[in-house]
This record gives sequence, structure tokens and C-alpha cells, in this order.
Amino acid sequence: MFRWKTLAALAAVVALGLTGCSSNGSSSGSSQTLTLGLLVPATTFSAQDSNWANESPYMQAVYDTLLKADPKGDIKPGLATKWAYNADNTVLTLTLRDGVKFSDGTAFTADVAAQNLTRFRDGNSPNKTNLVDLASAKAVDPTTVQLTLKQSNPALLTYLTQNAGLQESPKAFTSSTIKTDPVGSGPYTLDTGKTVVGTSYVFDKNPKYWDPSSVYYDKIVMNVYADPTSLLNAIKGGQVNASNTPNNNDLDQIKASGFTVWPLELNWNGLILLDRAGTMNPALKDVRVRQAINYAFDTKALLKAVGQGYGTPTTQVFPKSSVGYDSSLDSYYAYNPSKAKSLLAAAGYAKGLTLSMPSSNLLGSTVWTLIGQQLKDVGITVNFTDAGNNFITDMLAPKYPATYMILQQDPDWALINFQISKDATFNPFHYSDPKVDSLIATVHNGSKSESDAAVKALNKYVVEQAWFAPWYRMQSSFVSDAKTKVTVQTGNAYPYLWNIVPTS
Amino acid sequence: MLRFILRRLFSGIVLLFVITTIAYVLLYLGGGDIARRILGTSATQANVQAKAASLGLDRPLIVQYIDWLGNALHGDFGASWFTGQPVADAISSRTAVTLSIVIGATVLSAIVAVVLGVWAAVRRGGVDRSVQVLSVLGFAIPGFLIALALVIIFAINLHWFKPTGYIPFTDSPSGWLSTVTLPIIALAIGSIAGVTQQIRGSVIDALRQDYVRTLRSRGLSSSRVIYKHVLRNAGGPALAVLAVQFVGLLGGAVIVEQIFAIPGLGQVSVTATTQGDIPLVMGLVVVTAIIVVVVNLLIDLLQGWLNPKVRLS
Repeated sequence: MFRWKTLAALAAVVALGLTGCSSNGSSSGSSQTLTLGLLVPATTFSAQDSNWANESPYMQAVYDTLLKADPKGDIKPGLATKWAYNADNTVLTLTLRDGVKFSDGTAFTADVAAQNLTRFRDGNSPNKTNLVDLASAKAVDPTTVQLTLKQSNPALLTYLTQNAGLQESPKAFTSSTIKTDPVGSGPYTLDTGKTVVGTSYVFDKNPKYWDPSSVYYDKIVMNVYADPTSLLNAIKGGQVNASNTPNNNDLDQIKASGFTVWPLELNWNGLILLDRAGTMNPALKDVRVRQAINYAFDTKALLKAVGQGYGTPTTQVFPKSSVGYDSSLDSYYAYNPSKAKSLLAAAGYAKGLTLSMPSSNLLGSTVWTLIGQQLKDVGITVNFTDAGNNFITDMLAPKYPATYMILQQDPDWALINFQISKDATFNPFHYSDPKVDSLIATVHNGSKSESDAAVKALNKYVVEQAWFAPWYRMQSSFVSDAKTKVTVQTGNAYPYLWNIVPTS
Repeated sequence: MLRFILRRLFSGIVLLFVITTIAYVLLYLGGGDIARRILGTSATQANVQAKAASLGLDRPLIVQYIDWLGNALHGDFGASWFTGQPVADAISSRTAVTLSIVIGATVLSAIVAVVLGVWAAVRRGGVDRSVQVLSVLGFAIPGFLIALALVIIFAINLHWFKPTGYIPFTDSPSGWLSTVTLPIIALAIGSIAGVTQQIRGSVIDALRQDYVRTLRSRGLSSSRVIYKHVLRNAGGPALAVLAVQFVGLLGGAVIVEQIFAIPGLGQVSVTATTQGDIPLVMGLVVVTAIIVVVVNLLIDLLQGWLNPKVRLS
């Protein structure tokens, strides 16, 4: 009796195994297959709604972009071979590559490029505002597309190397499976039969790709590791050739497994002193108070305690790759609690002041105590409110005069419009300063040399005015095994796919 | 029997309704700003508001729930907010993976528990004490620690198995075994401890019964008495425990699938719940509840088949 029941149960297990149609942990030993580890799944494969940064490898596998960026961020040809602006930088003309076909056989033309551009502008991508200045895009002839802008945009060419420049087959625009079954002209096609959405994505080489010299593998498998332990085990077990890492905690173990670490500084950690006009907390209107907050933080100690020592202390928000970067601004506010106290006293807060801030486990659990302690030491009491999953929403509402945050260090124009300008996402009080506005106008409309000088001046002024209280640029780490060589991408969380290559 | 089945099915449907309602409300309350999480920090507030509106999140909770329920009754569970994949597709490809591991763990725990439980009950003494100690250890050591130890020893150091991932049986039977063996063992250990104790107790009770003495006095071999008669009587309570363990194993799969990066229901449950992916979580809740209801029904039927007194009652 029990024998046949056991057999039946075993048969059920086998049958269920047979029906399982997923694939994961594919071999990484073959030089023909590249297995990558990723921390996030593809939110969507629809070019119109696509994400970038950590999701860029999914997009780059199946789509081409109009332009490409080399590892330093310099613009190179993509599907567009030439590009030229008119005199006032409001009309961009792109000459397109001829003879390119999407994987469904549809030809890539200027009309298709124009449609993709306007679809992205009108879509639901988190980066849709990158094309907010695009008034229209039209095909001049089959290989020439013209973009007319509402105003010049110094970052437009860079945006066209990212998701704003992705080119999708027009036949897919109306497809019901647009989010999970991409149709592009890229170096690979997604094998939907072997892909488990959210967990493992399998890409096969596109035999008709127009640039075969940039394709190094017959197959790419992208596995998502939501859990740091499983990622570490996959690395130790040789199941991935390369991966980005969620934190720097396991780097020693990863190195011991024979992997090379490719460091990159993408974000800065520290405080944003949002209420610079003092509408919510009058104390923050006084630049001396904002400077005192900067002096209150022992950035080297915080880098050690919060960032495990992986990163570089800084008090500026512009990255090393910026034309405005000034190494002296990395230590402009050297840790000096007595100077912080005297500045507070000079501003009329000798007896201290109280500051409300949001907290959330989304950004770690111990950092809040350290912020409270360091500010308490100079006489500032912080009242934290746990904002949970609403941390960013509450910050941008805006509900707090200051906050701890980790923010990306974009290219200059993007950074200015993301963190500094009057309408920047992370300037929710819409604080403006005539000098800042004037410098931004020069960055926008000036010649190259005028613009570069203005970025430098803007960076220095924002540091002097203590709009932020940055601590350090944290190191992001990409790791690869002995068979895989990587060149990291300036300003992007994941190296660009064609820069991950076999060592031999 | 038919009335019994219909009654259980009806109560299952009521249970399903209650569970989905509670789950929806809890997800709604704990969801936070889902549109922001979908779009990320770089999105503007206007983009976030537009996204929330496109998902229907600007409507009252009751409207959203009725809308979901209406669609679900028509078999439409929507698409994941975070991957765009239809919920039905996301769950169907993963259910088989999880069930193969959970059923594997249940079968393994049943076999090992019967052997250990009967051994302890019949031999008693030192054997019994050893089995008891092992059971306590099996209970006490958390499943994730066992899983981690198994990975380090058997996958990373000895290379006998794959440390992460899942290979379908159709791709490679040996590959499939190399990916499911460790998760099944990790999942089964706690369950073995519980079922062993139950079988041991039931067998000891049965061995004291008069009918056992009668059977022995007729000259039946000890193994025939135990495996043919005693176990059949002791099987009922053990099956009930096994059913509870099965449901528990579904929960345990959450951790094990995370550690082994197995694309099953457990892994997607963690991701979807953390993200607040309501359509996907609701689909998972429905499938899990159906599995639990069906398993309980099957166990009831099996108990009735094993013990005619249950059918009569």
C-alpha cells in the first residue's frame, strides 16, 4: 500500500519537474555564454516606458540606441552615424545608418526613429523628462531625422545614448506583449521560452546584427539575485561570470573566489538641506547654520562606519567626471565641531536648535543614530519620523526641512536639473538664488568654455552656500571572473554590455 | 461523501474570499508610494502622479478591490506592476517549481519519519532517545541555517550540487536533481522532526492495543504487524501532521527559494510583497489558498480511505 503511494508521489514530483519551464544557473564555463548577475529585474521591455541604470543591460541586449557613449561618456555613433546642431542648438539633425533591420524584419528608418522619440517623450519612463525639451521629431528623408527643441538642452546627446534613444520596431508598438517580448535591432534577441520573467533572462545572439564585431557571446544569461547571500553563493560557485553587488560587505570573499573588483563612484551620501529659504525651519535660512551642519559631520568616520571604508570623503555633489569638479572641495568643510558650535552661536542658536528629518530602513538602520549623535554634539537635536516606504514621497512633498539621502552623480546638466535648479526634483522647496540662476543660464546657453567655467563656479558656490552636507562618494562595485574583462561606465550603475568581454 | 466534498469546497471558497479581502486591505495599508518605487528616485513628482493614476491607485480602496475581484472572477488577475508580465503567466511557471520542491520535501520527510518513528517506537531505549534528540535538533535549527550549511559544504566546497538556480527536468534530469536536492533536504529537516515524533507516539500507542497482542498471538511476524496493521492505524494522525507540515513547507519555501535563487512562488512572493506589487501578490494569495484548501481536502479523503470510521463520522 505504502509502496505505490510513495511511487505515485515520486511520479508527481517528476511530472511537476517536467512541467517546470524555467531556466537558471546555466553554465558559465563556456566561452560562448556570458552569465551576468543583476540586482533588479527588467521593469519592462517596452522602449517607451523603459528604465536605465541597473536595467540598461536588458535594454542594450535587444535594442540599439541612436547614439552610444564610450566608457568616459563621450558620444559615439550608434544607429545615427552623424549629428549636427543649428546655430542656437535648438535643431538637431541626425544621419541614420542605412540597411538596419529589426528582428521582425521591419526596416529601421528616419520615420521609425521619429516615432520612437516622441513615444518616449509621451510614455511612462522614469526618465521621460529627458526629452521634455523635444517639440517635434520628423523624418527629412529615409536616413535623416530632425529634432526640434523648445529650448537647447546640453545633455540631449547623452540622453540619446540611453533609454531616450532606444529604437523599437514599429510593429511592436501595438503588441499586447510589448512589456515582455521586445522587438529591437540589437545584438541579441530575448528567448521568451527560456526566460523566467523577474528571475532569469536568456538572450540569443542576433545572427543578422549590423555590427557583429561588437558581439562577443553566442548567448547571454542575466540572472536576478534579490538576496545578497544567493548572489555571493552564485559567485563562489562559479555560476556567474560578472555581476554588480548590492553592497561592499562581501567584497573580500568575492576577491578570495578569484573575482576582480571594478570600482566606480556613482552616488554621494549625506544630507540635503532642503529648506534653504527657512520657510519650514527658519534656522536653515542662515548660511552659517547650514555650514555648521557641514562642519558637524566627521565624514571620514562616517565613510568607515556607514560605507565600510569604500568610497571617498567629499563635501561637493558634482562627481570627479564633471568639468566643475574641484578636488579642494572634497574637504572644504573638514570635521570641526567647535567651529560648528561657534557658527551656530553667531547665527543666534547658541542654545541649540531642533531639526525634523525623515528616516527609513530603505537607506539602512544604523545611519540615523549616527546623524542624531553627530548633530547632537554641536547642539542640534534631530527629531526623526519614520517615513517607511513613503520616504522619498514625503521628502519631495516636501514635509521636512532636511534629510539624509543617497543621490546619483549625473552628468552636469542632468545633475543641475535633478538636484540644483529651481524646478529640480530634489529641490522640492523650489529654492532659487539669483547667482545660481545666472550660472545655470550660462551653463545652458553659453559657449563650451563659458559653460564649463559656469559649472565650476556653480559647484563652488553651492558648496560655499552649503545647500547640501555631503559626506562621501560611495564606491559601487562590479565584479568579474578570470574569464571576463570589464570596463565600467562613467555615470552608470552597470557597465555597458559591449564593454563586458572575454579575456581571451 | 459527495456532500462532504461540496461542503468543504464551499467553505474553501468562503475562506478564499476572506483571505483575499484581508490581504488586499493589508497591502493597501502597507503599500506606501508604489508609483515612486516603480519609477525610482529619478522620476519627477508629476511622472509619479501620472503613473499612480494609470495604475488606478488614485481611486478609493473599496473601488480598487471590487475592480480586482470582478476581474479575478473572470480569470483576469492583471499584470505585474513591476515586470509587466501577466500574473497568470508569472504564477503558472513558478507553481510547478515550488510544488516539486515542497512535494519532494514532503515525500522525503514522510519516508524518513516513518523509518525513524517506527524504529524509535519499536526499539525504544537508546535508539529512541537518539531519535528524540535528533528531532529536537531538527526543530531547533532554523531552516535557513541548514540551507546555508548545505550550500557551503555540498555545493561550494564539494561541488556536488549547484549553489543557486533551477534547471528544468526537461533540460537535464541530472541538472534538475543537482538544483533541487539541497533545497528539498533543507526544507524537509524541520518537517521530518515533527512527523517522526507524531509517528513514534502513534506507533507506541498502537503497540499497546489489544489487537496487536491478538495478531502477535496468531504468529504474524513483527514487521507484518507493524507495517500492515499498526502503521495503518497510526497513519491517520501522522497524515494530519503531514498536511500541516505541507502548508508550513510552502511558507518555508519562501526562505529556501531566496537562498537558492530558485524561481518559485516563494521567491516571487518576497519580491512582490516587498515591492507592493498588488496584482502579483493577490494572485499568489489566491493560488496559495487554493493549494492549502485542496491539500486539506485530499488529506481528509485519504484519512477516510485509511480509516473507515472517519467516513462514517
